[in-house]
Amino acid sequence: MDKFYIQGRNKLKGEIQVSGAKNAALPIISAALLAESKSTLLDIPDLRDVRNLAAILEKMGAKVDFTDNKMEIDPASVNKHATDPELARKLRASYYLLGVMLAKEGKARTSLPGGCNIGNRPIDLHLKGFKALGAEVKIEHGHVEVEADNLTAGQIYLDYPSVGATINIMLAATMADGKTIIENAAREPEIIDLANYLTVMGANIKGAGTDIIKIVGVDKLEGQEHRIIPDRIEAGTYIIAGAIAGEDVYVKNVLVEHIKPLLAKLTEMGVELEEDISGVRISAAEKLNSVDIKTLPYPGFPTDLQAQMMVMLTQAEEPGIVTETVWEDRFAHIDELARMGAKIKLDGHTALVHPSEFQGAEVEATDLRAGAALILAGLAAEGLTVVNEVSHVERGYENIVDKLQGIGAVIQREPVGRVTTG
Amino acid sequence: MSKKNNNHDETVKFDFDLSEEVSEAGYILKRVYHALEERGYNPVNQIVGYLISGDPAYITSYKDARTMIRTVDRDDILEELISSYINKK
Repeated sequence: MDKFYIQGRNKLKGEIQVSGAKNAALPIISAALLAESKSTLLDIPDLRDVRNLAAILEKMGAKVDFTDNKMEIDPASVNKHATDPELARKLRASYYLLGVMLAKEGKARTSLPGGCNIGNRPIDLHLKGFKALGAEVKIEHGHVEVEADNLTAGQIYLDYPSVGATINIMLAATMADGKTIIENAAREPEIIDLANYLTVMGANIKGAGTDIIKIVGVDKLEGQEHRIIPDRIEAGTYIIAGAIAGEDVYVKNVLVEHIKPLLAKLTEMGVELEEDISGVRISAAEKLNSVDIKTLPYPGFPTDLQAQMMVMLTQAEEPGIVTETVWEDRFAHIDELARMGAKIKLDGHTALVHPSEFQGAEVEATDLRAGAALILAGLAAEGLTVVNEVSHVERGYENIVDKLQGIGAVIQREPVGRVTTG
Repeated sequence: MSKKNNNHDETVKFDFDLSEEVSEAGYILKRVYHALEERGYNPVNQIVGYLISGDPAYITSYKDARTMIRTVDRDDILEELISSYINKK
């Protein structure tokens, strides 16, 4: 079993670089299949999810070359509309290929999605969107199949601003006949990045980043070069690391506009923060005030930083409250943090976080962000922390061991190795 | 600007009035416009997207355009655009 060994209570100092955003890269890699020619994607993070998606594309017939964070995708030879069931089950984002292949070939098939186990994450809204564009939807034996003779524009009101549904409908509508309007759309920066890539390929999309997105379908798209935006969750995680154990840490390649709620909460806690045009400089404070956190869709406090922020709150002098409103089961990290000495009381969707001292222990990364939180706790803990099941963490953090070692953290991976598919 | 530059190897004449005071926002807007155009974007759509959403992801990082546009407030850019439009009418 793959593990991280972390020796805590070492001061962090120096510069740490943020990679391209996984949550932008995955839909953009999928969207490359919409074009008729080759795309070159830059700043693609080398992560298990990315490699699994590239493997799915290859099995569909695309030519993919991925070296040094540059991915070239030639979709000219794509000859399948269905994803490889085994690979697709490992990767929630494989459902973006439904929207892509529906737009391109009029039909698509994939396994019901996998990913982190953080609550019930149905794809009803995606399917509602496809139906509004005239597609027929079938769910059988763990597979989803969508088909349309002629995809036509529609007006779709999302019951909830779901990022996945907004992206999937955008992808499908890009080549549908007429003007599609998505209301109550998600506003995440990753949606803007996808819209940028699609529009430079020839798509007609307006309003990404607002709650109304308008898409006028076009007949064809041409592959282009595109650079992925920085990962705001990775940036936020390293900023919290700096706030817990930093002695002048500079987190580089950050769009601070994307992490305003986190920076506001850390400032309220008394963390010394300095923002500039390309990053954030942080040092741990002697004394931390307590704050309350409530996760919300963007631009609210991100659910993907809830677990990491909970670790931060244990370092405050008074108790703080964390309310999770996005994913109902996203508290699996509490039991693991408790093994390290955290005093956290859970009541429904709300956790009361008491000031706590961490001691090293053997813990399990139950999901991606829970794993990140355990690493942060390990950095603050006295003694040795062993984090098991680190493959979850490696789904979302590129070279996390090297990067943390670069700012002085004592962390080792066992066995030492590179990310592969599977 | 006198004409749209579709061929980026070509020398293009810009007819900026040098006697006119160019504001910082106006200067940056023009630089960002050209960077977006050179990368194949529709610059007007991208800048409108930025002004509406406030998200710098709309602006390419090519030629430091993203960095530049973040150094001016969006209301200054809008002020510049409206003043410029009204003064030309």
